[in-house]
Amino acid sequence: MAPADLAPELERLHPAAFGWALCCCGWDQTAAEDVLQASYLKLLDGRARFDGRSSLRTFVFGVIARTAREARRRTALRRWLPLAALVRGSEVADGRPDPAAALARDDEAARLLRALGRLPARQRQVLHLVFYEDLTIAEAAAVASISVGTARTHYERGKAALKKLLEGEK
Amino acid sequence: MSEHDDVELKARFGALRKEAAAGAPSFQAMLAAAQSPRPAGQRHRRLRLAAAIAVMTALAVLVARRGRPDGRVAIDLASVRWRAPTDFLLQLPGDELLRSMPRLGRPTLDGRTL
Repeated sequence: MAPADLAPELERLHPAAFGWALCCCGWDQTAAEDVLQASYLKLLDGRARFDGRSSLRTFVFGVIARTAREARRRTALRRWLPLAALVRGSEVADGRPDPAAALARDDEAARLLRALGRLPARQRQVLHLVFYEDLTIAEAAAVASISVGTARTHYERGKAALKKLLEGEK
Repeated sequence: MSEHDDVELKARFGALRKEAAAGAPSFQAMLAAAQSPRPAGQRHRRLRLAAAIAVMTALAVLVARRGRPDGRVAIDLASVRWRAPTDFLLQLPGDELLRSMPRLGRPTLDGRTL
């Protein structure tokens, strides 16, 4: 797909893509915007090329997940290398919802974010993709680069754990 | 997990989606920001990082090479002087005669002259 044709499709997917970027960046809006911007750039300048093997939405979500992972890796590397004074970029959260921000709010959404923050990353991602983005488990597996069986296991375990955590919050 | 639980989770995530969508930046603004040339500071950040890594690597190699012995030991043979504790056993009476050329007119050990 040519980059020019891609832009309208990306605009259509933008709200969902922003939600997924938020999930990948621990609901840190600034980090999510940076990751989404970098992902759009990759898609539009052809560094990430859609070859039609999956749906466009799955492909775009996969690019966002990879970009967020790269950003997290860069942040981790900067923490280890004594170069912090030379390069100060935006820090990307580890994919866990920020508990401080969630604690400041006390509505249903905040409770859900707090509970999600206590789940393992894979479970959190699969649940987000299925319940927030309305993807099937197979599509969620493709986005998260895992097998369908593994995604199903994460889905079932995540759902049970999330239910327990939400009941505990009441 | 029952179907009711799934519906409840869906509703919770739906509320979260609405909240997130309300705070989402516009696509056009994000696209414009993504396509605009990067500010000089951001461009130079990568160069600075690469330069810093190169300098640190060079320093690390230098330090590692200095600290490691290269397997060869330099010995100044001219200054080496070592005597075995049993060297005195090799000192025989009159062995100076064995180390020098005999000369005519000098007495030998048994008192005779050559």
